[in-house]
Amino acid sequence: MALDDPHARPSEPPGTDGPRNAPAVDDAVPFAGDEVLPCGRLLSRVWEQAQDAAPAADPHTLSCPHCREAVEGLATVNVATRAMRAKDPPGLQALADRVMSVVRAEVRLGRLLPLADTDLDLRIAESAAAKVLRQAADTVPGARAATCRLVPAGEGTGVRVTMTLAAALDRPLPERVDQVRRSVLNAAGQDLGLAVTAVDIIVVDVLEPFPPLDPAGSGHLTGGGT
Amino acid sequence: MIERTGFPPLGCDLPDGLLAVRAAEGDEDSFAVLVQRHSRPLLALARCMLGNAQDAEDAVQDAFVSAWRRLPEYRHGAQFRTWMYRITVNRCLTMRRRRLPPLPLDAVAEPATGDEWSSPARAAEQNAATAALARALGELDAGQRVCWILRELQGLPYKEIAHVTQTSEQTVRGRLFRARRSLKEAMAPWR
Repeated sequence: MALDDPHARPSEPPGTDGPRNAPAVDDAVPFAGDEVLPCGRLLSRVWEQAQDAAPAADPHTLSCPHCREAVEGLATVNVATRAMRAKDPPGLQALADRVMSVVRAEVRLGRLLPLADTDLDLRIAESAAAKVLRQAADTVPGARAATCRLVPAGEGTGVRVTMTLAAALDRPLPERVDQVRRSVLNAAGQDLGLAVTAVDIIVVDVLEPFPPLDPAGSGHLTGGGT
Repeated sequence: MIERTGFPPLGCDLPDGLLAVRAAEGDEDSFAVLVQRHSRPLLALARCMLGNAQDAEDAVQDAFVSAWRRLPEYRHGAQFRTWMYRITVNRCLTMRRRRLPPLPLDAVAEPATGDEWSSPARAAEQNAATAALARALGELDAGQRVCWILRELQGLPYKEIAHVTQTSEQTVRGRLFRARRSLKEAMAPWR
């Protein structure tokens, strides 16, 4: 995208905002097909600024008739874009249901682990056991389980649990980790009947109160694009 | 207990990263939350890219199933959302390449009923304008179209669009500019 003459941009009349002073044109290399407006601004950057930034961000654009005209050129597209954005695609729930029926048909069991009953030789799938143990960890306030792996330990029916955790920092971590360990041990023994020999817990993330999620995921414009 | 109130209830409010880790270990319920959370913008994206509701649903379904299968190898280098957008975009591009005939004129998004455009005449005009925009989008180069949809319809930052489309931010901005210019020309009769 080399320019034949980098100085081809018309010089700025004195007393107005030069393109060098404007924040949006620091990197003002023209894009392919770009246009230089009579005021010296690049059309691409004027549009970018109008679409991305708050309206009053640049005093030049407010007062410059060329920039204003360029921005107004996009008005029709913007109105149609807003209408398009407001339309919810139909069939969302049906789609989610179809996805999940395929997913649930492709069960990933993981390894089979012995339950603590040597007479019957009962086994449980790792994924099923992990789900119960994660739920047990989640019941501890300020803790949420991430990974949960179970491996046979020793000769008999012993199982070792390794869990990673996101934990809040409003309390000392050892105390919270201990609570999680007790909850996991309890669920493993009482609910599943697993003979857990150890629960290794690694805190891998900090749990923020109320993670800021976009509830609708509807993708409205949120601030600048950079 | 008081300390409970500051944190999300169990299940649905977990961050994407945690849900993706659980899903990678075979936890379908965590994956179901991710599907609920992301299917709306992905379906809107696919619909704009493909111009057809049925193809869009197929593309998003394939993308989610493919994500489920690839989750155990997913290294969390990118956010789950970015990764999911990328899979969906690639799926749409593949479908477009296979489907050689150009976008049929009647394949634009159907008008939503009972929306904010209450006056029938206004609504008709607006729907026609939106349909015209959808047609103009269909005529854009695929790379420009993806960038425009992700930016103008979905509000993704340039950096994330660059990740999704595996290009640089500069390229994204150049494509956006050319998309805007073409769309402006295509929409000129509606001024």
